[in-house]
Amino acid sequence: MSSVNLIESKGVLRNNWNIEVDDYVIACEWAEGGNILLVGDVAGGVNALDGKTGKTLWQKSSIHEGNLLAMRVSPNGKLFATSGQDGCILIGETTEGSVIETIELGQGWVEHLEWSKDGMSLAASISKNVYIFDCKGKEKWKSEQHSSTVSAIAWSRNDELATACYSKVAFYDVIENKTKQTLQWKGSLISMKLSADGDIVACGSQDNTVHFWRRSTGQDSMMSGYRGKPSSIAFDSTGKLLATGGSEIITVWSFENDGPEGTTPGQLCHHQSFVSDFSFAPQGKRLASGARDGSLAVWGLKNDGHGGSIGTSQMSAQVSSIAWRKDSRALAAGDARGLVVTWKVKT
Amino acid sequence: MNNFNKVPVTILTGFLGSGKTTLLNRILTEEHGRRIAVIENEFGEVGIDQGLVINADEEVFEMSNGCICCTVRGDLIRVLGNLMKRRDKFDYVLVETTGLADPGPVAQTFFMDDEIQNEFTLDGIVTLVDAAHIDQQLGRSDESTEQVAFADVLVLNKTDLVNDESVDNLESRLRGMNSMARILRSENANVPVDTVLNLNAFDLDQVLQNRPTFLEPEYPFEWTGVYKVEQGQYELTLEEGPDPNMSLVALIDQEYSEEDLNSSAEKCVRLYADDANALSPGEVIAFEKHIDLQLMSDGQKSFFLEINKNCNLGLFTQHTAEEFDIKLLSRDSEDKNMEVPVTFERTWVAQHEHDDEVGSFAIEREGDVDIEKMNAWLSKLLAEKGVDIFRMKGFISIADDPRRFVFQGVHMLFDSQPEREWAEGERRNQIVFIGRNLDEEAMQDDFDKCLV
Repeated sequence: MSSVNLIESKGVLRNNWNIEVDDYVIACEWAEGGNILLVGDVAGGVNALDGKTGKTLWQKSSIHEGNLLAMRVSPNGKLFATSGQDGCILIGETTEGSVIETIELGQGWVEHLEWSKDGMSLAASISKNVYIFDCKGKEKWKSEQHSSTVSAIAWSRNDELATACYSKVAFYDVIENKTKQTLQWKGSLISMKLSADGDIVACGSQDNTVHFWRRSTGQDSMMSGYRGKPSSIAFDSTGKLLATGGSEIITVWSFENDGPEGTTPGQLCHHQSFVSDFSFAPQGKRLASGARDGSLAVWGLKNDGHGGSIGTSQMSAQVSSIAWRKDSRALAAGDARGLVVTWKVKT
Repeated sequence: MNNFNKVPVTILTGFLGSGKTTLLNRILTEEHGRRIAVIENEFGEVGIDQGLVINADEEVFEMSNGCICCTVRGDLIRVLGNLMKRRDKFDYVLVETTGLADPGPVAQTFFMDDEIQNEFTLDGIVTLVDAAHIDQQLGRSDESTEQVAFADVLVLNKTDLVNDESVDNLESRLRGMNSMARILRSENANVPVDTVLNLNAFDLDQVLQNRPTFLEPEYPFEWTGVYKVEQGQYELTLEEGPDPNMSLVALIDQEYSEEDLNSSAEKCVRLYADDANALSPGEVIAFEKHIDLQLMSDGQKSFFLEINKNCNLGLFTQHTAEEFDIKLLSRDSEDKNMEVPVTFERTWVAQHEHDDEVGSFAIEREGDVDIEKMNAWLSKLLAEKGVDIFRMKGFISIADDPRRFVFQGVHMLFDSQPEREWAEGERRNQIVFIGRNLDEEAMQDDFDKCLV
């Protein structure tokens, strides 16, 4: 691994350290209260890096046969889970990297992993099926077979899981093993996020639209006019702002008052190529975004979703993963060439 | 659009049992310097023996607007999106569809999805056809018909299981359905890899660079015979036959691989377009010339050939050798009239009538078009008939524009761009349509109304 020192950052971003891992970064996530940055690459390498210095704490390679598809750190930062094209899920602990359990689900790609907010359950999707495991890898629940490949999963409560697939979002009570709600939309849903209170369900669709539902009232809306498909979408911590990709511009809808219907969304312009990933800071109305050309920006937003860039930087290739540290004072990003950069973020 | 860094993708379709897996394995095992990733939608009877093979269930996703041209294959988007993260592992992608796949959504995926379009380029659609069974399948299933209609290359496989006449009839039926596709014949899917990969079939500039037309030729000759000859004089004899004259082109150094024959055939198509030199019995046949043998007199007729080196002689004749009992005799051998055996012979498919629901035709016109009228006509046509138009390719001559305009479509998807400038005397229009129940006459008339 070599170090790259050419990155120039502006505004609130101040370079901390960078490092290169072996391959395309699938996910970077902070663990152990920000003391560790965990980086998973597509070739199945997992690197635990010291949060302050970037020094390698432990390292694993080829933990999945074929590509690594997902990596998630548990809410308390003690556990991580990875999944791959080999149909396996691996649960390990973050400080030493020791593997607690390897779960074999059979033939298929395990594309999505999500820990419940209390950290007691890990949901995983493989082809048309969704499973829930406890921290030790014991199976707690298995969904009925979906009508098509599951494209996204999200926890609405510790006992309620949402799944998205072609033309449908379903909510399951995983304790009672019941389908609680089904939302239909004839279109290919490719991404799904829930607001913090679990009431708003937002989905990006293959036909270059964003569709959302309010579960409590059943009211739904569609936002169109995207140039590409909005595969990246994210709610801020309050659940009032919804950022959506689908072009060079990030469109931010505000759910304040009667919005976003009838309002003008914020249009965040800086990137010259399609936005590839973004993430809201855990505190405050800040958003960090990256694009296919490797450009990175941090945005300060108002309640109405409008705002401007307050910091910029440049990676070496498509920004593939962005993660804020829990205190919102540090940011990490990985790119398609395996470059990992961390920044301190001024408040 | 710049396709420079994009990964080419070949789509391989065909009914179960047509030989897709055999062809796939042939491509994978042959030394061609490409690292190919395979996306397989069908668990074939024969396994595939190579590293990067990904299985995916076909998932056809329609859009909320109900538009057929927006229908894409969700499984391909997912798999290709993931493959892109390991671009260092492969430089070519082959997608094998199930026998029942509709090729439309597969092709549209490469034009409708911005991420896929950014990274991949559709190189061509190759359809395998089981020569023994396709006749029944074509009548019974929309999918097999559409697979033929969408193809850039049709591999007529298992030709050893049917007689030559059936193969010829089948080829002519397929040609009627799809006049743009190149048709290859094979016994065990043994076609050269270069005839199915790197076709650039959706890159019209490239297609037109090698030839002036989108149409595969309908040959003005029915038969080719290749003879091994030595330096010396030869006599060509013809018995009485069905016609008072017959066209012929003789070529020196004719090899008989599929490729050599096809390139000579194209050359002969051009030579046949020249005015023929009438040749009376007893005269000498010139090489690389369109000759018209005069056969009015009774009984056997003889013509002569002067061969100046040992080589293979190729004869491209308007009718089959059988019809006139054509024989080549060596004049220099001890036995004056020793017959030279045919080393290789094949027949070519001449123009045929067709009655399939799916067919293709070309509008070919001299003159310039009014671009506004043309746009209005095409928009209306695609809006009304887009579902029934599988593929379309064309170039047009726009009034007051020095450039050749090329365009193509898959259903309602339409892509057009100005290309290089016309050369002197080159200006003309050609649009080829492949579709279901298209009203050729009306479309020809509508096009004429677009002319200046």
